[in-house]
Amino acid sequence: MRKKSKLGDILFFNATRIFAVMTLLLLGGIIISLVVASWPSIQKFGLAFLWTSEWNPPAENFGALVPIYGTIMTSLIALIIAVPVSFGIALFLTELSPIWLRRPLGTAIELLAAIPSIVYGMWGLLVFVPIFSKYVQPFLSATVGKLPGLGALVAGPPIGIGLLCAGIILAIMIIPFIAAVMRDVFEVTPPMLKESAYGLGATTWEVVWNVVWPYTKVGVVGGIMLGLGRALGETMAVTFVIGNTNFLDSVSLYAPGNSITSALANEFAEASPGLHAAALMELGLILFFITFVVLAFSKVLLARLARGEGSKT
Amino acid sequence: MSVETAAQLDTQIAFKNFDFFYGSFHALKSINLDIYKGLVTAFIGPSGCGKSTLLRTINRMYDLYPEQYAKGELNISGRNVIAKDVDLYDLRAKVGMVFQKPTPFPMSIYENIAFGVRLHEKLSKSEMDDRVEWALKRAALWDEVKDKLGQSGMSLSGGQQQRLCIARGVAVKPQILLLDEPTSALDPISTLRIEELIAQLRGEFTIVIVTHNMQQAARISDYTAYMYLGEMVEYGVTDEVFIKPKKKETEDYITGRFG
Amino acid sequence: MDLHAKRKLTNKVALVLSLIAMAFGLFWLVWILWTTLQLGVSGLSVSLFTQMTPAPGSPGGLANAIVGSLIMVSLATVIGTPFGILAAVYLTEYGQHSWLGSTTQFINDILLSAPSIVIGLFVYAVYVAQVGNFSGFAGVLALALIVIPVVLRTSSDMLRLVPNSLREAAYALGAPKWKVITMIALRASRAGIITGVLLAVARIAGETAPLLFTALSNQFWSTDITEPMANLPVTIFKFAMSPFTDWQQLAWAGVFIITMGVLALNIAARILFKNRI
Repeated sequence: MRKKSKLGDILFFNATRIFAVMTLLLLGGIIISLVVASWPSIQKFGLAFLWTSEWNPPAENFGALVPIYGTIMTSLIALIIAVPVSFGIALFLTELSPIWLRRPLGTAIELLAAIPSIVYGMWGLLVFVPIFSKYVQPFLSATVGKLPGLGALVAGPPIGIGLLCAGIILAIMIIPFIAAVMRDVFEVTPPMLKESAYGLGATTWEVVWNVVWPYTKVGVVGGIMLGLGRALGETMAVTFVIGNTNFLDSVSLYAPGNSITSALANEFAEASPGLHAAALMELGLILFFITFVVLAFSKVLLARLARGEGSKT
Repeated sequence: MSVETAAQLDTQIAFKNFDFFYGSFHALKSINLDIYKGLVTAFIGPSGCGKSTLLRTINRMYDLYPEQYAKGELNISGRNVIAKDVDLYDLRAKVGMVFQKPTPFPMSIYENIAFGVRLHEKLSKSEMDDRVEWALKRAALWDEVKDKLGQSGMSLSGGQQQRLCIARGVAVKPQILLLDEPTSALDPISTLRIEELIAQLRGEFTIVIVTHNMQQAARISDYTAYMYLGEMVEYGVTDEVFIKPKKKETEDYITGRFG
Repeated sequence: MDLHAKRKLTNKVALVLSLIAMAFGLFWLVWILWTTLQLGVSGLSVSLFTQMTPAPGSPGGLANAIVGSLIMVSLATVIGTPFGILAAVYLTEYGQHSWLGSTTQFINDILLSAPSIVIGLFVYAVYVAQVGNFSGFAGVLALALIVIPVVLRTSSDMLRLVPNSLREAAYALGAPKWKVITMIALRASRAGIITGVLLAVARIAGETAPLLFTALSNQFWSTDITEPMANLPVTIFKFAMSPFTDWQQLAWAGVFIITMGVLALNIAARILFKNRI
């Protein structure tokens, strides 16, 4: 009986430890396998891969500039739209909404964050793009297009699909996600702290701006980074609407382009083994590296909030 | 409460020059204490004095936490249980424990009790039924739960849950029962029932109870130990400790000037 | 304008903006759900569940894709769940203070939000490229790798919620550690762990990117997991990107099925967790 207990302990301990170690090795495995698989491309193009814009499979000449630019640009557009909207939603859910509405609205936002991204992408292509090119783009050209400097961003024919459209669809997709994280972060603020500010006669906005925001700043940024990580790595919401072309010769956001994920989604299954596949693998490696940095950063920030250091500025 | 004379007393637990550490914090300092078989011994003292720590050394609960360790001797039935080669499972089968808050396991009332028994004995279904009934009767809970043994232990009231935990400890047939502020989370009526129960269990088990309630200690214990800042200040027959304490500190604490 | 009035005005403006943000956010989401519902329901029919994916212009359904998805999602869950739970047990019950425990926790959080397409690339590199062909099993592997961090995270969160006094109570009876863990800690947190598994299933049910170059797709009935396997997400991707309206119609029906499935799983998880079975 006693022997059995000890044996059980040893077996169970080692079984769980093996799986923990395997989780750890998984990350190493991903990095190593991607490096190995992209080695021919790394060897041939070196660091210049990062800033070369030519992507020519027949000639076996590859540079990652266009997809990297597309990934960063669409994520940036998405953040510019999604952050203020999510902040407003989180503010509404924590401070403004009538109590009876908070739970249902909060649940709705969380459920929407769970909808698969292919739904957003498909809706974007089949429903949003026609409306966007017919009404929104001409309007933007007629207004923003007249401004010096900014005008170049909305130059070109209004064809719907392109970087701007992909950024907007991404924004719609990450709004519920960032809003849900921000709401959780806002709720970390101790009620006593808020009540003391209200007790001094502060308005709701003053409490949010002077108490909640400083207290949760680190966590809010962590939440935004989490959203950015999601936007950078998103495949389907982007692939449907970005245009999937590797030529990019203007700064216009109307221009179709490519992101790392959309290039992979479109080309990888058909790529001939060899340099083309290796170059695509290297794209994946770059994407993993970028998101790794962003996620690690967001993790550190959120952990700092959880440790109660949010009040330090 | 009658107290046997010292000649008849049989020492069950003996601390000798016993020290205890939480990392670098010296929590118990050179404790010397004999706890007698079949009697109820109470540990009292202000919070943080080490009374719960002392209690938790008796079943070596501290072994779960790598930074905690003990030095010196702790003899149970004449054997030093601080030694590395002691079988913890056997030790804990001999020493039952009930905690501050009720801790029913997430299973049925019946299974709550059978769980502990199965760890140490192989019983047939009918033997197990008898054991469960016996334990629940010893804990004065049988009449309240005999028709719902299949229900979750968490469906009981707080006082019932605590008696279930006592029944669970008793079912393993230990020699010693450790009670760590067992009534601190209960209402006065449930508290009274637990105190009655302790009186009934006295004699059959050696009971050690930690309490912050001095009236409780005076009501139910035969011996009382007063602790302060990790040291054993005074130990003796309960009535004497409460009526004519030998030390000034004990008197100050008991009369409420300090604590 | 005096100070008081100005403060009040600022407050009003901020609150109105917040209301507009809420309305703006909900507007898109309601619109998307409405379209999915409208076009999806009109595409529902019996043949959707009985017929194979068709060539453009001929009638058909999504039967092979639905079955393929069900097979792959179930297998991935069966593989990933015990993996995640056992690793979570190590993190919370054995390795809280160890280097391995805290590092694994951090790495797992990274894996949790790693781009799913990279998981697909990984499985391609280590499995598909070695075996030499796309297969349902490669898709299962990719999905299982997504299940693991979700289950690991929720399980370790739930195990941490189990009060330590419960574990001590079991130790006090003389129970060995593995029994305390399996019979007390895991049992006390099972509602939370099942919730995590449901959420993981919901997550992989709609994943497209990791299947693109693992399971690929298959136009025909396919239950052999060593061959390319039909599945809903990739079929939807292919059909929606096509210029054929009948394919697009089927894609809407597919998206409707997935969305409803995912929402149902999420709602079930919530109800389950609230009632703690």
